[in-house]
Amino acid sequence: MASYRRRLEQDLEGWIGRGLVPADSREAILGSVGEGRRLDAATALAIVGGLLAGVAMIAFVAANWSDIPRIARFALVLAVFLGAAGGAAWAGARGRAVTGQVLLSVAALVFAAAIGLTGQIFDIAGDPQAALRGAGLAAALLALAGRSPWAAAVGLVFIGLADVTGGRLFEASKPWIGWLVVAAPLGAATAVWWRSQALAHVSGIAAIVSVMTLERLGRGHEEVTFMSAAAVFAVAAFLARLARERFEEPAGVLHGWFVWGALIWFGVAGFGDGLKGVGHSIAWLALSAGVVALGRHDRHAPVTAAGVVGLFAAGATLLFNLGVGLMTSAAVFGGAAMVALAVAWAMRGRKAA
Amino acid sequence: MTLPSAPVRIVAAALALALALVGLVVREGLARAQGQEVVLPITGYDPRELLTGHYVRFQFRSEFPAGTPCPPGSGGYSRRADAWVALRRQGDRHVATGAALSREAALKLGEVAVRGDIDCLARTAPETTWVILNLGVDRLHTDQAQAEAIQKVMLANRDGPATGSAVVSIGADGKARLKGVTAGGRRVDLTWF
Repeated sequence: MASYRRRLEQDLEGWIGRGLVPADSREAILGSVGEGRRLDAATALAIVGGLLAGVAMIAFVAANWSDIPRIARFALVLAVFLGAAGGAAWAGARGRAVTGQVLLSVAALVFAAAIGLTGQIFDIAGDPQAALRGAGLAAALLALAGRSPWAAAVGLVFIGLADVTGGRLFEASKPWIGWLVVAAPLGAATAVWWRSQALAHVSGIAAIVSVMTLERLGRGHEEVTFMSAAAVFAVAAFLARLARERFEEPAGVLHGWFVWGALIWFGVAGFGDGLKGVGHSIAWLALSAGVVALGRHDRHAPVTAAGVVGLFAAGATLLFNLGVGLMTSAAVFGGAAMVALAVAWAMRGRKAA
Repeated sequence: MTLPSAPVRIVAAALALALALVGLVVREGLARAQGQEVVLPITGYDPRELLTGHYVRFQFRSEFPAGTPCPPGSGGYSRRADAWVALRRQGDRHVATGAALSREAALKLGEVAVRGDIDCLARTAPETTWVILNLGVDRLHTDQAQAEAIQKVMLANRDGPATGSAVVSIGADGKARLKGVTAGGRRVDLTWF
C-alpha cells in the first residue's frame, strides 16, 4: 500500500503538471488511498515479547512433559486448542478479521497436533492417514464455522498430506481416488465464494496434485487419465477466465493454476508409450506457445510463466524424441521460430490496420 | 431461521471437536479395559522414528525350533484390513495359530481372534522359525528413562528369543490395544495417570 501511495504521489504531480487532474483534487485522491498500516516500535516489541513468552512456555512444558500425568497432559492439549478457537471467536466478535483468521488457523493446526498427541499420551494405535484426514475435516469444520479461508487452506493441506502419506500412493491397496479430487474443487468454489486468494492458491495446487491420486484408477491406460485431467483443467481454466470479470482476484489465481495443471498433465501424458513421440512434443510446444500468447494478452504473469516453462519442457522432450541430432534440432527450432515470427508479423499487421 | 453469529459457530465447532477427542479417548479406554487380555512375547525393534517422543518400539515375535511349519494363512493377507489372527494360550503366553479372512474362520484355528496378519520366516537349523504378528500396535510411549531402560534390555538380544512380553487387550471389535509392557524386570502399565 505504501509503495502504491508513493507511486501515486509521483504520478499525480505529473498529471497535475499536464493539466489532466485539478490540483485541488490532489489531497482528496491521496486521502482515498489512505496510509498503509505501520507497526510502531512498541507494538513490534510487544509482539516479539509475546512470541518469546510463548516459546518459553512451550519449552518449559516440553521439558516437564514426562512428569505431567497423562490426563493433565490431555487437558493441557485441549485447553490450548480451545484457547486458540476461543481467541478466534473473541477476535471475530470485535471485528479483528486478520487476528481471527490467524487464531482459527492456529486452532486447526493445534487440533491436528492434538490428534497425534492424544494417540501418544494414551498409546492409542491408529492409521496415520485417518488421523490426517480427521485433522483436515476438523480444519474444514472450523473454517466453515468462522468463514475462514485460511483455516480451509490448512484443511486442504492436511487432506492432501493424507492422500500421499504412508507410501500408499502407488500401492495396490489404496483407494481409487484421493480425497483431494473432491476437496480441491470444493476448495476452489469456496475460494471464489469467499473471495479468497490464499484459498484459491492452495486449491489450485491441490487440484494439480490430486491427479496423482488417480494413479490406480488409470493404471494401464495412464495416457487417457492424464489427457482427461488436462482437458478438465483446460475447461476449468476457461471457466475461471470467464469468471474473472465478476470474481476478479480468486478467479484470476485459479485461472493461473488451472492453466499450469492443463499444461503439466498434457505433458505428463506424453511419457506413456501410447502418446510418446514427436507429434505429442510438437502439440505440447504449440499449446505452450498459445498459453504464452494468452498470458501476454491477459497480462497474467502466472499464465505466461506456465507457457514459458511448457516451452522449455516441450522443447526438451522434442529433442529427446528426435534423437538429439543437432542438425535436426536446429531445423525444428528454426522452423518453429519462423512460424512464431510469421504469426507475430501477421498479428502486428492486423493491429496496425 | 438465521444462522448464529460466527463467534458462536466457532465456539460450538471447537467444543464439538474437543468432545469428539474426549469421546475417542473414553471409548478407547473402555474398550481397553473391557477387552480380553492376552500376553504376547515381544522383542526389541529398530529403527526409531525421530520427533515422536520417547517410546519403546517392539515386535510381537515368537521363535520356534527349525523345521516348525508356519501357521496357516501366514504371509497371505499382508496388511489387509479384513485379516484376522488366531491365538492360543501356551503356558503363560499366547501364540499365533493361523490367519484368516474372517473372525469365524480365525476362531476355528485358535481360542482368540484379533485383527491383524502374520509374517513367518521358516528357516533351517541352526536358525529358528520366526512368527511375527502385525496387530497395529508396535510401541509404548513412556518417560525417557523408562523407555531407554526397557529398550536396552530388548535390543540386547534383538535377534534372539523374546526378552519381554506385552499385555494386550482384544476388544469386542477385534482390535488389539496395548495395556502394558514387561521387560528386564520393569513393568509399565498404561493408566489414566
